[in-house]
Amino acid sequence: MRTRRGIRWSALVIALGLLTAACGGKGTTSAGSSPSTTLKLAYLGDMSVPDPDVFYDIEGNTVILSVYQGLVDYAPDSTTIEGVLATSWTISPDGLTYTFHLRSGVTFQDGTPFNSAAVEASFKRRTEVNSAPAYMLNQVAGYATPDPMTFVITLKTPWAPFMDYLASSWGPKIISPKVLTDQAGSDYAQTYLKDHAVGTGPYSLTAFNRGQNYVLTAYSGYWGAKPFFQTVNIAIQPDINQQILQLKAGGLDVILNGYPIAELPAAQSDASLSVQNFSSYLQSLLYFNVGKAPFNNVALRQDIAADIQRNQIVSEVYGSYGVPAASPYAPGILDQSLAPIDYPTQTVKAPAGTPPIVLAYTQDDSGIQSRLAQLIQQNLAAQGFQVTVKETTNAQVYGYASSAQTLAQSPDLLLMTNTPDAASPDTWARILWGTGGGLNFLGYSNPQVDSLLNAADVSTDPTTRNTDYGKAGQLLDNDYGILFLADTRDVMVMQKNLSGVEHVPNYPWALNLADLKRN
Amino acid sequence: MSKVLLSRLVSLIVILIALSAIVFVLEAVIPSDPVRVMVGASASRQAVQAERVKLGMNKPLPVQYLLFVGRALEGNLAESLHTHRPVTSDLAQFLPATIELAGAAAVLALVLGTFLGLATARGKGTAARLLMLAGASAPPFLLALALVLAFYSHWHLFPASGDISANLAAPTGPTHIVVLDGLLHGNLRVVSDGLWHLALPSICLALGPAVAIGRTLRSSLQTVLAQDHIRTARAKGLKERTVLLRHALRSALNAPLTMTGLQIGLMLAGVVVIESVFAWPGIGLYTVQSITATDFPAIAGVTLVLGALYVVVNTVVDLAQMAADPRLRAS
Repeated sequence: MRTRRGIRWSALVIALGLLTAACGGKGTTSAGSSPSTTLKLAYLGDMSVPDPDVFYDIEGNTVILSVYQGLVDYAPDSTTIEGVLATSWTISPDGLTYTFHLRSGVTFQDGTPFNSAAVEASFKRRTEVNSAPAYMLNQVAGYATPDPMTFVITLKTPWAPFMDYLASSWGPKIISPKVLTDQAGSDYAQTYLKDHAVGTGPYSLTAFNRGQNYVLTAYSGYWGAKPFFQTVNIAIQPDINQQILQLKAGGLDVILNGYPIAELPAAQSDASLSVQNFSSYLQSLLYFNVGKAPFNNVALRQDIAADIQRNQIVSEVYGSYGVPAASPYAPGILDQSLAPIDYPTQTVKAPAGTPPIVLAYTQDDSGIQSRLAQLIQQNLAAQGFQVTVKETTNAQVYGYASSAQTLAQSPDLLLMTNTPDAASPDTWARILWGTGGGLNFLGYSNPQVDSLLNAADVSTDPTTRNTDYGKAGQLLDNDYGILFLADTRDVMVMQKNLSGVEHVPNYPWALNLADLKRN
Repeated sequence: MSKVLLSRLVSLIVILIALSAIVFVLEAVIPSDPVRVMVGASASRQAVQAERVKLGMNKPLPVQYLLFVGRALEGNLAESLHTHRPVTSDLAQFLPATIELAGAAAVLALVLGTFLGLATARGKGTAARLLMLAGASAPPFLLALALVLAFYSHWHLFPASGDISANLAAPTGPTHIVVLDGLLHGNLRVVSDGLWHLALPSICLALGPAVAIGRTLRSSLQTVLAQDHIRTARAKGLKERTVLLRHALRSALNAPLTMTGLQIGLMLAGVVVIESVFAWPGIGLYTVQSITATDFPAIAGVTLVLGALYVVVNTVVDLAQMAADPRLRAS
């Protein structure tokens, strides 16, 4: 009897506890009468690490860009480079010496003053750590700090994309020198910076709970305008449907990426939500496996270009959030008229004896890639091609071109959406269709393209340089090495009461939190 | 009992060796390049190769496997390609949340399963039978969505993600199980918040196993209730509840306990889906992220941990069966 009564009491206590928590919880999840200064975001997965010299993902850009700053960045919605921790800079006529005049009155979030020695230490660390983004400083010959507010970089050779690399979201960021010294250990403070971050940005990273949430807190000593949001909570929520439910219930303020295109009309008709779309360099691409039959035949590649109804596909999949690509270079990276796309539109029947084709695509949360793959399959099937569609992963894609043998076993067609590291034609062309480029997944190679890219790379004359990039793009088009399907927009869905929304095309899935406000 | 423990220990070793070997074979047959993903598209081939050497991935696969086993015996499961941290550190961080969720779900499944079995054993309990039918046919992800729609979106009664509210600081230990740490620190707000967050995911995870346990118990009870010693007990004038709980239940426990072991094993697989839906910061969430990144060191670590948990759970069930049925102890 005593036991049974005990069970009943326990049940009552648990029920009351849950009820109390439920009542308390509602207060924490819904907005109060005055605008809440807490911003609630979500990521679909954990970022790798908040260390700017190792971080090389897209998910996580908002954290890096809110905590850290570089010498320069891109102005909102443009490719114009503007000063951040540098107020001005000069480039020597030979393109080898970059002199940056630094901003005074800046402190790191741990109180350490900002100066040229701090900049030098961070730049050197990037090369010493030698992780993914280290390549952006490959052409650096040395650094100098003639005074505390001047920083000089000397290059080995002129390097066209260098300023763009400095402005990239993955570009060099300045880390507190105190952290780099105190936490140096034997790995340049990498162990510490796996879950800590100390920069000069408007927010401090006050919690990094992997798999759970990241908390950004407004830095009271920030040198720029004080942000409206005092706290930014970024939850890890891998299910996009859950994110949507939370957005609609007020548990989230913004969905940064992955919103299913098919559900955007419903979001647009929701009085409390706002669908915003921004310029981006995200391009949808179809790679040909040019090293093996049947697509070692340029005529067949041209047939495929003709048979894929880009206008129809892009309209159906992206609606107003994408247009058929006009050039191998996304709008803003290069004058698209220098390398215009002119794919044939007259459909062609599959030549007799064409073997079955395998089309692989990388999955995304919005479902766009799988839908695109299905429509391409339908277009080609209508002309007599036998196409099998299969899903693949990024790691598998990166393995395709690792040897001639793996390339021979790789799919015939590969559908992906990619974006360049910086708003420079070199960062796009070289890795996408230069021989051995990191995103050149199915082994396209043309020595003429490589020569043009190399020439453009060291040219100090912008006109000559851009002409060469354009020619390299035209050669790729003539070869039908990669089909450029769509220039797409960066789509975010947010609460309508948010204002001050700023976005940079080169910083995908990221918002400038410092300028964001709630009305 | 010591025989059982010894045989389970041997099977644990065999299972772990087999599981780790399977992961390594999978790594070999899937044509992927996680190192390239890790170092980035623009890294030079030399940089990629250097990273591969650093990670020991340039060695032949059998050598890599032996090195892995050797390191694993020392408690070192290599470094995750995604988080850049030792896999053991990641597992130590993510495992407690899974133990909390799976533990709560297991208790819930046992309680609910026992209730369902008892309620329907004598051909009564229409509502319970309906619940069993619905529970057996509802896929966990659909159930999760329905519960979130009802209790989070519509009624705002329960949270839809995480294991603790963002504005509440979780205790820093010692177990890293939120509810338990809250109790140990005497922080009832953390305890109630933890239970509040546990409610929906644990129900989703528990319902299927509860139904399976309930059906097995019902069937087992129905057999026992038709036996002579039950008729004798009734003839003595014992109340039906006493007959059921004191005499029939214990004799009928063997099959449901076997089912419990099986269901808890399956629950460890179901945790991947449920943790993803509810953003529960456990091994399931870690697994999904590791698979997406083709992070083989992490996948191998998770496989070993889940394999070990499965063996441990089944050992506990074996011991429970022996406690419930003296004939098993004798044999």
